[in-house]
Amino acid sequence: MSFEPIIGRYLTVMVQGRRQRIYVETAGQGVPVLCLHTAGADTRQWRHILNDAGLTAAYQFFAFDMPWHGKSLPPEGFEAEEYLLTTDAYMETVLAVVRALGLDRPILAGCSMGGRIALQLAARHPQTFSGFIAIEASDFQAAWYDIDWFHRPDAHGGEMGAALVSANISPHAPKAERWNTLWMFMQSGPGVFRGDLSFYTKDDSLIARLGQIDTAKTPVHLLVGAYDLTCTPEDARRTAAAIPGATCTVMDDLGHFPMSEHPAGFRPFFADALARMKEASHV
Amino acid sequence: MRATLARMQTRLHDTPHLLRLGRLFSETVLLEVDGAEFYLTFRDGRLEGIAEGPSRKTPWRFAFRTDADALAQFWQPIPKPGFHDLFGLVKIGRGRIDGDILALVKNLRFFKEFMALARDTTGAEELA
Repeated sequence: MSFEPIIGRYLTVMVQGRRQRIYVETAGQGVPVLCLHTAGADTRQWRHILNDAGLTAAYQFFAFDMPWHGKSLPPEGFEAEEYLLTTDAYMETVLAVVRALGLDRPILAGCSMGGRIALQLAARHPQTFSGFIAIEASDFQAAWYDIDWFHRPDAHGGEMGAALVSANISPHAPKAERWNTLWMFMQSGPGVFRGDLSFYTKDDSLIARLGQIDTAKTPVHLLVGAYDLTCTPEDARRTAAAIPGATCTVMDDLGHFPMSEHPAGFRPFFADALARMKEASHV
Repeated sequence: MRATLARMQTRLHDTPHLLRLGRLFSETVLLEVDGAEFYLTFRDGRLEGIAEGPSRKTPWRFAFRTDADALAQFWQPIPKPGFHDLFGLVKIGRGRIDGDILALVKNLRFFKEFMALARDTTGAEELA
């Protein structure tokens, strides 16, 4: 028997007065890094990083499923409510997990909506973190689709969501990882992808906050795939330009889910981003 | 274009998983390339008819309009960014979707994979 090094456990936190049972995975030892998944998916997107012995020798990675996602349950009473993620609920969830895990100023790495909230936290709660890696993240993205497509009684939202987001996967992605990435969207609970997209495509409050981010205290590095139609390199560059001192790297062969769709292609960019955080925190 | 569509038709009928995905898809789709109209009539996932326009009396459920160069780039084994997906063509201004877009979205994987059947994936990973 040969288990992977990833360990998964559950913890319960209070977010906005409600109990949330959260699934957390961890691997490695060293500098703590908290990883956030994209909309409509879960922690499995990060499994290649958590299984990377070269990285886990120096970093302790944590990744958790947001409430309603993956192995985290929705809160009690969910059956009668509409799931709509908000910036405040998202930030409070991340901060509650940091506290529950007892993490001392972890690096925060988030992709897509996870990258968006990482930048919100960089602006509003920088003291809790030592640096921010914002992947496929931008100041604001209006929807180029109707988010209501993904939650209807006459069609499978997960299958439609997967078919839509396949537009954001690079043709360089290995076939197996392309489909593993899409599978998570196919499995997403009813209305969850829509509720995530509501946060991602309707809240533009980050735009005015970007200038408040102090990269001298907490470095910010953006990574963006050239094949990302949702957050294009132009979007990421514009966002980085609005944060004094932020840096941005375009990943030519990757798309919107780089750590999941093309682990080998993403690895050097992520290792470089981690090194930037570590160097900055030791200045 | 007509020959390419016929080749896609053959490939579709030789692809069991696509026939299964499209088993409830019975619609006419207008594919417009450089203004030339092709009415693709699907029945239960099979492409039953390819009729060339112009036509003012052929009803269609949704239309995908593009240009020949964009389509040629879409069919490259490794397309450039933006040319790698039908929605990418729309986003970069080289494609347009009209009509009942929800009918397209409900059958999006089927239609995307059908449209990619002219791509030469020899030596490259298969795209969706």
